[in-house]
Amino acid sequence: MNHILLFPIVFPILAGIMLLTVIKYQNRKPLLAYVGTVLGVNALWGLFAMFRVSEGVTVFYLTKSLPIYLKVDTVGRLFASLMVLVWLLGGLFSFEYMKHEKNEQRFYGFYLILYGVLFGLDFSGNLITLYLFYEFMTLTALPLVLHTQTKEAVMAGLKYLFYSFAGAYMALFGVFFIGRYAKTLEFTPGGVIDPSVFRENETLFFVVAMLMILGFSVKAGMFPMHAWLTAAHPAAPGPASAVLSGIIVKGGILALIRVVYEIIGVDFLRGSWVQQWWMILSLLTVFLGSLLAFREPVLKKRLAYSTVSQLSYILFGLSLFEVQAMTGSLLHIIAHVFIKVALFFTAAAIIYMTGCKRVEELRGVAKGMPVTMWCYTIVSLGLIGIPPTSGFISKWYLAEGALHTGIPVFSWLGPVILLLSALLTAGYLLPLSMRGFFPGEGYDAGRFAGKEPPLSMRVPLLIFAGLTLGIGLFPNVFTNILSAAADFLM
Amino acid sequence: MSRLWLCFVVVFPMLAGLFAPLVYRKKQEFFRAYLGISVLLNSVLVWLLLFHRPEAGITLFYFTGNLTIAFELDGLGCVFAGLVSFLWPLATLYSFEYMAKEEHEDIFFLFYTMTYGVTLGIALADNFLTMYCFYELLTLVTVPLVMHTLTREAILASRKYLCYSIGGAAFAFIGMIFIILYGSTTDFVLGGVLEPGKIGGKENILLLVYIFTFLGFGVKAAICPFNSWLPQAGVAPTPVTALLHAVAVVKSGAFAAMRVTYYSFGTEFLRGSFAQHFLMVIVMFTILYGCSMALKETHLKRRLAYSTISNLSYILFGVVIMTPLGLGAALTHMVCHAFMKICSFFCAGAIMHQTGRHYIHELDGFARRMPRVFAIFTVSAVALMGAPGLCGFISKWNLAAAAIDSGNVLAWFGIGCLLASALLTAMYMLTIVVRGYFPGEGFDYDSIADVKDPNFRMLLPLLIFAAAMFLLGIHSQPFVDLFMRVAQGSF
Amino acid sequence: MEMILNFPCLCILLTMFSAIISSALNRRWARYLNTFVVTLVGILSAAVLMFTLTSGKSYVYQMGHFPAPFGNEIRFGSLEAGMALFFSVIMLLSLNGGREKIRMEIDPGKEKLYYIMINLLLSSLLALVYTNDIFTAYVFVEINTISACGMIVITEHGRTIEAATRYMIMSLLGSGLFLIGICILYDMTGHLLMEYLYTSISNIMAAGTYRIPMMVAIALIVVGLAIKSALFPFHAWLPDAYGYSTVSSAAMLSSLVSKGYIFLLIKLIYRVIGFEVFFGSRIINVLFVFGLAGMIMGSVSAIRENDIRRMISYSSVAQIGYIYMGFGLGTGAGMVASVFHILSHGATKSLLFVAAVGLTDASGGHKEFDELTGAAYRNRLAGAAFLVGALSMVGIPLFSGFISKLLFAQAAVQSQGKALAALVVLAVSTVLNAIYFMKTVIRIYTPTDKKYEVTAFGYKVSYAITLGCFILLNLLLGLFSQPITNWITQGLTILQ
Repeated sequence: MNHILLFPIVFPILAGIMLLTVIKYQNRKPLLAYVGTVLGVNALWGLFAMFRVSEGVTVFYLTKSLPIYLKVDTVGRLFASLMVLVWLLGGLFSFEYMKHEKNEQRFYGFYLILYGVLFGLDFSGNLITLYLFYEFMTLTALPLVLHTQTKEAVMAGLKYLFYSFAGAYMALFGVFFIGRYAKTLEFTPGGVIDPSVFRENETLFFVVAMLMILGFSVKAGMFPMHAWLTAAHPAAPGPASAVLSGIIVKGGILALIRVVYEIIGVDFLRGSWVQQWWMILSLLTVFLGSLLAFREPVLKKRLAYSTVSQLSYILFGLSLFEVQAMTGSLLHIIAHVFIKVALFFTAAAIIYMTGCKRVEELRGVAKGMPVTMWCYTIVSLGLIGIPPTSGFISKWYLAEGALHTGIPVFSWLGPVILLLSALLTAGYLLPLSMRGFFPGEGYDAGRFAGKEPPLSMRVPLLIFAGLTLGIGLFPNVFTNILSAAADFLM
Repeated sequence: MSRLWLCFVVVFPMLAGLFAPLVYRKKQEFFRAYLGISVLLNSVLVWLLLFHRPEAGITLFYFTGNLTIAFELDGLGCVFAGLVSFLWPLATLYSFEYMAKEEHEDIFFLFYTMTYGVTLGIALADNFLTMYCFYELLTLVTVPLVMHTLTREAILASRKYLCYSIGGAAFAFIGMIFIILYGSTTDFVLGGVLEPGKIGGKENILLLVYIFTFLGFGVKAAICPFNSWLPQAGVAPTPVTALLHAVAVVKSGAFAAMRVTYYSFGTEFLRGSFAQHFLMVIVMFTILYGCSMALKETHLKRRLAYSTISNLSYILFGVVIMTPLGLGAALTHMVCHAFMKICSFFCAGAIMHQTGRHYIHELDGFARRMPRVFAIFTVSAVALMGAPGLCGFISKWNLAAAAIDSGNVLAWFGIGCLLASALLTAMYMLTIVVRGYFPGEGFDYDSIADVKDPNFRMLLPLLIFAAAMFLLGIHSQPFVDLFMRVAQGSF
Repeated sequence: MEMILNFPCLCILLTMFSAIISSALNRRWARYLNTFVVTLVGILSAAVLMFTLTSGKSYVYQMGHFPAPFGNEIRFGSLEAGMALFFSVIMLLSLNGGREKIRMEIDPGKEKLYYIMINLLLSSLLALVYTNDIFTAYVFVEINTISACGMIVITEHGRTIEAATRYMIMSLLGSGLFLIGICILYDMTGHLLMEYLYTSISNIMAAGTYRIPMMVAIALIVVGLAIKSALFPFHAWLPDAYGYSTVSSAAMLSSLVSKGYIFLLIKLIYRVIGFEVFFGSRIINVLFVFGLAGMIMGSVSAIRENDIRRMISYSSVAQIGYIYMGFGLGTGAGMVASVFHILSHGATKSLLFVAAVGLTDASGGHKEFDELTGAAYRNRLAGAAFLVGALSMVGIPLFSGFISKLLFAQAAVQSQGKALAALVVLAVSTVLNAIYFMKTVIRIYTPTDKKYEVTAFGYKVSYAITLGCFILLNLLLGLFSQPITNWITQGLTILQ
């Protein structure tokens, strides 16, 4: 019965492989129908599986001590649900966007395979399963980055690959040690290592923890390993950038949550130099990311830097080891997914309809693409943290949590940096809106006339903007669930 | 089965090889059938021997004093012999296709088949002297293979190979002498044969001699700084580089190192000594050196040769951890790497055979024209990196577990080396794959219109290897158990 | 069995008479006589060997009418008989292998002179092996030198004359030192027969008097013989002498002449000076160091050579270094190893020279490596024989060189303090040997399209048989070394 968890993982992978090798569609319509069906069916099944199945299932044993084990818990459900939503809407968006790219079938093939792999990642019940799907996620996302096959894209893809593997291998180093010293590799809130074992080998475990944190943070673009993100996300085609910035990077965050909270255990790390360094690096990234975004002229690259910064908000919250901060982080994960995907979809729509890539070229764009720009503005406000958007709620929780912890310096430094960053965020997101709506004198009025993107592109934007507002207006539903989850993890 | 079969499986391929040119001259049509049947028959016999092991060994003759030439099949020998016998028929099949375009097929297969017998001789050797004799013989029968194309580079490469190998064996010889004098017997016994009474105060000399022996045998296993022969030997035809320099010759070096460490000197004596630390540092350096050089190298086969240098030191790393887990992990990687590397080399060979292109930058866009070969090459690349689900991960995991378990802090740095090497491997293997599939905007596919997939004789071995990599990756437990039992001495 | 005791004396006399008679014969008959005599000597020696092996004793034979301690004596045990047999076999094979060359290179008028020299050589070798009197040894050492010089210079051209002159000078220097040493010994002890010398010397050493003159005498004798047997650094004459003379001469010089002196040295060590005295003195350290140096320098010089004959000659320097290293180890096992190496090197080096001549002839007479490419395909037997010789030199198991290495290494490990140096140099020397021998082997087996004028030389039956016998001898020493080592050990114990 529990084996139905396997279905949402395996089905899209097989469908994707078939699309890459065996099936060859001549026309677009059957191709889109195929992809759409797979996406939809799998979404239903996936949601069904994750809400009905509560026990874990061991799929097989890689070696005697390494079972491949799937289990759904709250965190997993959260990530999986987000992923499903984004993937469906992303698919819808791509149907239109990919019209003007080549090799569409290859794109969809890997899109489907990645869908399945991500289900696997979210459903992972132990460290080795997580690692397995993590590596495959990196590999299968690569073709999406490389898709346009320009020199820039290939360079970006290779950079992405090597940074990701560097991070994965740093984490693997830790996995080896955990494998040796832990009672089990299954995710258990509070950690799986005996406290006495910890005390005997303290330095070793601190080093291991730091390496694993750094390793998985590479995917989340934490300084100093963020350079791949700003190369890869812009180089990918529009919908791919969106899912990369929205979901793939969250894979790193999921891994971090699992490892820090459910393998090593927070009690051991609290107050140690590991926590300190994590906080330092994440705050640094928050600030640096916003600053670099502020100065970046290319729209997609600006959004990539923004991702770097925003992810470190989440990381900062995770590093505080406190319930409220954790709730803030989890909420920000949700908020950021919707916001960032919407932002990238906007950028993609603009490129698709007008071909413009730089911000300065976009004066008066709102005249021609009002719906798009309204959605953009709403989600921007969300990112800055202005009520009543989801971003505001999450930032509030983060700041409050930081102050609550009472950690010297960081408890006030954190909120200060968050505030500064919010200002910078406004500085890099709002100009597009402002210039778009109020272009001032001497702009080319006819340039953007009638460039509103088609429905299949607008619908996702509207949904995300709506969700951003919705969560902001009715946060309690979410915050209660997330608080409970955060509590559970500690 | 009777013990005489032990002799038979070693001698038969040597004789079959010797008569090969005669068959070629008399009836050329039967040449390939003759070779294929001989090799296949021998492999079947070896596998039968593995399942019905003779109780004791067989002594061929007495050399001098109490030194003998003798064969026996113990656990370690089983693994190596099984590996070699499984791969040889497939490699021979591949070579038929490859050598169809080259000259002097008869001389080539003479030495190729003889090497099979000699390698089995090393695997089945019961004592140090036998292994040493067949080790020297291996060098001699493989030199003509390296020299085969008779170009100036080939001759220089074979000279270098010869001198390095004989030099290495000369230093290993010192080890043999010391074992003869300080050991209770020259036989291979798990745990070592050194007699505490005889050693007296001479530990340091013995440790120094052990380092000589290890490095001497390590020459064939391409340990730094004696590995420059291996990339240069890449000038040989691909079946030679693949089978010999990725499987038979280099693994013989690693196998000999295992025998010396675990079965002659004994890990109890060696563990924790300066010899172990020194060798571990050298091994770790070689791991990183091989990968770094591979990254810089643009010639496809030489890149794979440098990758071999690095991977061999993974095996040696397991050996110098000097615990049963270490030996088991080393055996795991010996088997896994054999499959991965022979697969990569055969893919490279297929590309070179079909298109004559040797350099990586010439391979852009090939994936569309040679989809099968490239797909299999991708599988072997991902396996070499160590992605879970394929065999490379299993062996890396076991090596790391052995290193952690040993409690030797230097070994923990070794794990770091392994992982850094994994990253570098990803870099130098995946760039080839990426360029093949994503050659860049505006690539003119007509420029490679002549490129196509090879026929079944080359593809079949490739498919089998790819399947093996998956099998070992997913269902590795029985094999790893076997290797661990061998390492514990209970097989 | 009384008869057999006469054989050694008979052999010596036979060869000397044969030398005298040959001067009256024409060249064909001189050759037949020579072959007959050498064969006969071989058979007789074999008989003596059998006899002494079974009885296990060494016998003394009085020469002339005066009994000891004033008269002259011969003494033989299993080791001496075996050495005599070995020398005659090698001589026979070398002559056979180089027969065509003798005919081609030597003036027809001078050919019988050559056979006279050979006979004298054999007689002096036998005398050195058998004699029990130190002055007789000196006399025959000089006869040996003269016949060796004759063998070198018989092919008259500039190089050989220069080589012979150089050889003569160095050799006479060695003989001179040897003579002075003998004189000093005679002065101090008043004896010339070896056993009596031994007793006197032990008394003198025990009494502690005349210590320094004794050491000087021993040093002079040892150094004198070392010079004559081409120990580094006294080897400068060797490459020219071996490299330019006719091939039989080269083979015999390298395998027999120097080995005769070394065997005499062994006899002197055991029977005159005494094992303990010799090993207690510093001389062995000097020999050890020079031996090691020779092993390395000989090979290094060989690597730089471009002429195949000279390369093989330099290799001899290295191999003689091995033997002296064995002496220098200072153990009984080391001496056994050295004696075995005398046999092994004798067999292998002659093989190499005879094979090399086949290869050079198949390449239009050129001796440089460039011209020798692919020679093994032009003369398959010579190529195979050269391969066997090279593998034996490098120390590949199955061949005699491996057993030598094994014995040396085992002896080295048992000696105090010298073990590591000896083993490392042994390994390095193997590598160096591999470098130049294997390079040559690869070169002769690399096919080439160049055509050379091939004489039918290589395919003569006698040449083939010779090479076959050499290969067999090598394999015999390599595979069945245990009985041989036993014989040597037994022989050395009764040598005293």
